[in-house]
Amino acid sequence: MQRDVSALQPRWLTRGLASAGGAAMFVAPLLALVLIWAIAVPLFDINPRVFPSVAAVAGAAMESIRDGSLIEHIGASLLRVGLGTLIGIVTAVPLGIAMGVSPAVSTFLTPLFRFFSVLAGIAWIPIATLWFGYGFGAIIFVIFNAVFFVVAYNTLLGVSTIPLTLRNAAASLGAGRWALLTEVLLPGALPNIVTGIRTGLGFAWRGLIAAEMIATNVGLGYMLFVARDFYRTEVIILGMIVIGAIWLLIDRLLLVPLERSTIERWGMVRRA
Amino acid sequence: MKTLELRNLAKTYFDPYAGSHVTAVHDVSLDVQQGDFVSVVGPSGCGKTTILNMVAGFIPHSGGEILLNGKAISGPGPERGVVFQSFALFPWKTVLDNVGFGPKMRGVPKAERDRIAHEYLELAGLSHAANRYPNELSGGMQQRVGVVRALANNPEVLLMDEPFASVDAQTRMTLQEELTRIWQERRPTVIFITHDVAEAVFLANRVVVLSKGRVLDEVEVALPRPRVWDDLIEDETFKRLSAHVLHMVRSA
Ligand SMILES: Nc1ncnc2c1ncn2[C@@H]1O[C@H](COP(=O)(O)OP(=O)(O)OP(=O)(O)O)[C@@H](O)[C@H]1O
Ligand SMILES: [Mg+2]
Repeated sequence: MQRDVSALQPRWLTRGLASAGGAAMFVAPLLALVLIWAIAVPLFDINPRVFPSVAAVAGAAMESIRDGSLIEHIGASLLRVGLGTLIGIVTAVPLGIAMGVSPAVSTFLTPLFRFFSVLAGIAWIPIATLWFGYGFGAIIFVIFNAVFFVVAYNTLLGVSTIPLTLRNAAASLGAGRWALLTEVLLPGALPNIVTGIRTGLGFAWRGLIAAEMIATNVGLGYMLFVARDFYRTEVIILGMIVIGAIWLLIDRLLLVPLERSTIERWGMVRRA
Repeated sequence: MKTLELRNLAKTYFDPYAGSHVTAVHDVSLDVQQGDFVSVVGPSGCGKTTILNMVAGFIPHSGGEILLNGKAISGPGPERGVVFQSFALFPWKTVLDNVGFGPKMRGVPKAERDRIAHEYLELAGLSHAANRYPNELSGGMQQRVGVVRALANNPEVLLMDEPFASVDAQTRMTLQEELTRIWQERRPTVIFITHDVAEAVFLANRVVVLSKGRVLDEVEVALPRPRVWDDLIEDETFKRLSAHVLHMVRSA
């Protein structure tokens, strides 16, 4: 039966239903969690200073949407993460490619980049505030370096795993240095670059929230931090939900489709 | 007219693990006329790939000369097209864009290079696969793309290193027949490396037998064309030549 139906459906409809089904599968566990929360808080009569009710969080959401503060915090956070990530990618990819071209250089630098990849993000906040003061500069720096080292390392890895025969093939078809870069090295390293961006953005997002608690007066991290001072658990939980939800949206609407449209279509496996 | 001349070509590798030098090619001289089809056979490790990589410009030679139309080669270049054993298609490009890659590097505009690519895909019977990606093709189809990608760039010499070694036996015979047909139509100059003696004799005008980095002998193959396996498999001349070459390779 299943088969007959899908044979009669137009392709876009089949695909639309499949992705709607996928989204439902993804949202269902989250809804289950909310349901448990909605039941548990009144059931155990939990003090709102310890954990808020669903209604209180919904109320906080409505209020902060109405007075515009939520949008302001989200906007500030997204702007920072966007800018820092952009600078990180734009500098890391060319550097990673340049380094990956030479096996000697990539072997030498690999341990360094691994080291800094582990440190990426939060660990840099104290020194960043010493260098840039409290504010925009320090936060951008934290995001930038969270993205930079991870993306550079993955790019380097990607370039160094491109088979030599592909470079030779391009050269014997007349590719010069620039064409080699744009036609072979960049697309060849793309699976790893995308992996790097995904991981780096994850670090950056966490680093951002942490940095905003310390170094600024607007943003989602700041929103959590201030709410704590006033025991407003409903605002804290709202902020946490928004932080998680934004990350899921970025990942599923931006990064996952990017991976699908390139890597899977080409049949390339990620070599992380 | 001589297209390609190898003069006392030699190659010594340094093996960093053993800490010693290995001479893979001692002294190889070879003339290839324009439009000729030369097969090079020899036992494993006799230096076939090394010679081809030097002619392609992928590795430097340590002695002798490689002349193309009288001029010494330096590095890889589009006048020497290469077909790889591992196909070496760009996974991120469609079949059409793989074949159009050479013309693109020459600055041919998109519409014109698509036309060229379509023409060559038709030559290989692959028109239907133009918009697919290499990973969606069988090994035999991928290597057809590999061959016409090199041809579409109009190279002076086509260098092929065991291009059909990694496809199944039936497909290999079909590809060999197709290659002789395409060669007759377009008359590219071909150096074809293989350790399959029957393949070498089937394809070539001349078979060069290598042994331990030296040319052992050259055998003319005066079989009529077009060549198809159904005819040649029973052909006395083919059998005699193959046996002769095989004997040399085995005693090499
Ligand atoms: N990069 C290298 N470094 C050191 N020695 C090498 C290198 N490449 C090849 N050799 C050696 O040179 C010799 C010739 O190798 P080559 O690959 O040219 O042989 P071949 O005739 O192509 O063999 P096969 O039929 O197995 O492909 C071998 O002894 C091989 O071990
Ligand atoms: Mg070889």
